[in-house]
Amino acid sequence: MSEHHITPLRTYLIIAASLLFLSGVTVWVSYIDLGPLNIVVAMLVATIKASLVAFFFMHLLWDDKKNLTMFLMSLMFFGIFVTITLLDTEFRGDLDLNPEVKDPINKRAVFYDTLPLTDTHGHPVDEHSDNHHEDKDHH
Amino acid sequence: MSENIKQNYLNHPKGLMSWLLTLDHKRIGLMYLVSGILFFFLGGLLALVMRMELAAPGNDFISNDTYNNVYTLHGAIMIFLFIIPAIPGALGNILLPLMVGAKDVAFPRLNLASFYIYSFGALFAMYTIINGGVDTGWTFYTPYSTQSTSNVVPMTLGIFIIGFSSILTGLNFIATVHKMRIPGLTWYKLPLFVWALYGTSLVQITATPVLAITMVLLMLERFLGIGIFDPALGGDPVLYQHFFWFYSHPAVYIMILPAFGIISEIIPVHSRKKIWGYKFIAYSTLSIAFIGFLVWGHHMFTSGQSVFSQIVFSFITYFVGIPTGVKIFSWILTMYKGQVSFTPPMLYALSFLFLFTIGGLTGIFLGAVALDIHLHDTYFVVAHFHYVMQGGTIVAFLGGLHHWWPKSFGVMYNQTIAKICAFGVFLGFNGTFFPQFLLGLRGMPRRYATYSEEFVELHSYSTFWSGILGISIFIAIMNLFWSFIKKNKVDPGSNPWGGMTLEWTHTSSPPHPHNFEEEPVLEHGPYDYDKVIVEKTYK
Repeated sequence: MSEHHITPLRTYLIIAASLLFLSGVTVWVSYIDLGPLNIVVAMLVATIKASLVAFFFMHLLWDDKKNLTMFLMSLMFFGIFVTITLLDTEFRGDLDLNPEVKDPINKRAVFYDTLPLTDTHGHPVDEHSDNHHEDKDHH
Repeated sequence: MSENIKQNYLNHPKGLMSWLLTLDHKRIGLMYLVSGILFFFLGGLLALVMRMELAAPGNDFISNDTYNNVYTLHGAIMIFLFIIPAIPGALGNILLPLMVGAKDVAFPRLNLASFYIYSFGALFAMYTIINGGVDTGWTFYTPYSTQSTSNVVPMTLGIFIIGFSSILTGLNFIATVHKMRIPGLTWYKLPLFVWALYGTSLVQITATPVLAITMVLLMLERFLGIGIFDPALGGDPVLYQHFFWFYSHPAVYIMILPAFGIISEIIPVHSRKKIWGYKFIAYSTLSIAFIGFLVWGHHMFTSGQSVFSQIVFSFITYFVGIPTGVKIFSWILTMYKGQVSFTPPMLYALSFLFLFTIGGLTGIFLGAVALDIHLHDTYFVVAHFHYVMQGGTIVAFLGGLHHWWPKSFGVMYNQTIAKICAFGVFLGFNGTFFPQFLLGLRGMPRRYATYSEEFVELHSYSTFWSGILGISIFIAIMNLFWSFIKKNKVDPGSNPWGGMTLEWTHTSSPPHPHNFEEEPVLEHGPYDYDKVIVEKTYK
């Protein structure tokens, strides 16, 4: 905190290159249907990118640790929100005996309906869109 | 106190521009106070309109559609324009720098900006009213809020904007508490009102952005047809409730924590006794702020969320009772063997203890899933949150106003009238809302403009007492402003209740434009009634 940290240009360039690479990863991975993991992978890549920006471009790594605490707190609250909400969406309807409302949420992004259907290993599957969320049954 | 004692923040500098562009936290606080009270009256008027309609079954006063508008606006105005901004914005602004011995808040310009952002957001809310109102209820639940033709957009936009004012005020207060305390004023010597404002500010900056995101998502769905909450577009309507309550449950603590702070100041001063369990109260503030983030799903027990999450939410909800109970018992033990004087602020504080406890305990009822399935969306819920919000927050706010009125404005109100009004508020409040518990238990649903014959007696009783409540609050506030108009001045050096915190001992009433003529030196803790004798001095 007492001294202003000067980051070498090299570091900036490496981080910039990593960000571009990770952007590529985001686009590439979106074409692979990983089922429920789609969102997890997308968020993971986005979190890594945001952290790189915060730590290096915004100097959080060398800054007062109070600011880091604030940043981590915001991540923690976000984590609480997502985790507890998933307790609802992942188990919605699980005690309902009527199979029609058993799984009331469409957990797949509409985007994947436009892609040729593949299983988790990327192999094409010729199945109609009604059974998308039962990926594991297609092996 | 020196020769320029006549100079205070109210009369120096002069002129309209000196008010509109002021950076003085006390003036900004006063502007929040005036606007907050205007909205309080507006919201209260809407409440009385509702009670008039409900005095008898049938639509004999207003139509169903008007009723929908009235209860939505009552809720939205009271919560977003009065309760959330009023205590931190008005009392917090006026008192926080004084209590930590600072000249001002950490970022005075940001403070003024917060006030204007709040005013700008309030304009949207006012536009909503003029343009025909909004009928979704203050929660703006989807799917109705994405389809309603009423003014959902201007109202949510207004709330979105006011949210930023909350965030900036919170940020300002946190920086002030961390950086502006005078030497020697360590964390455990801070007045508990400061702790309460600190906890509130933490919730404001961590929760309010989620409200902003929710409002943006709502508008994205309305305008661009992006499927977030609408199942037809691949969304989930219950997800809206998760988003909304992830902000709005912590917002309950934004509303109640400052009230706890006020009570923690009033009770030791008017009992002339050291506060019992200082650290317990301080830490219970922080733990309430944290636990408040984990319990939002108890508003959604009938929404169709998974049974698993209902059990989790119900279980965690009970934990809120622990730190809250710690506070209640600490306040009661503070009064034990103290020299309790029944001044107007103390009467409000005592009312608070009764009313808030009822509100809190009925919250335990509602936290139990099985019972909530029956009580959800009935008058039981209405009565419960009014006992917390009005019986708790607003009663504490009135107590705080009466407590710091001579300090903030250098004038003393008529104490007899104030005491009568405090009784009127207590009786009127219980008369209005206690029957609503019974109505709810018997199955009267909320948000209906009419009802079946069996509920007539309790509803008309509630309406009668709401009139007493309305009149008492109106006279109580007029009594305060009358003292200001009549210039019933107190001696600038007076300390009418014998308070020990810096705002009572080290500055004049009303305070100097720069708060203290010289940097105050801390001589004792905020509640050291066992060590130091502070005289009650009053003209």
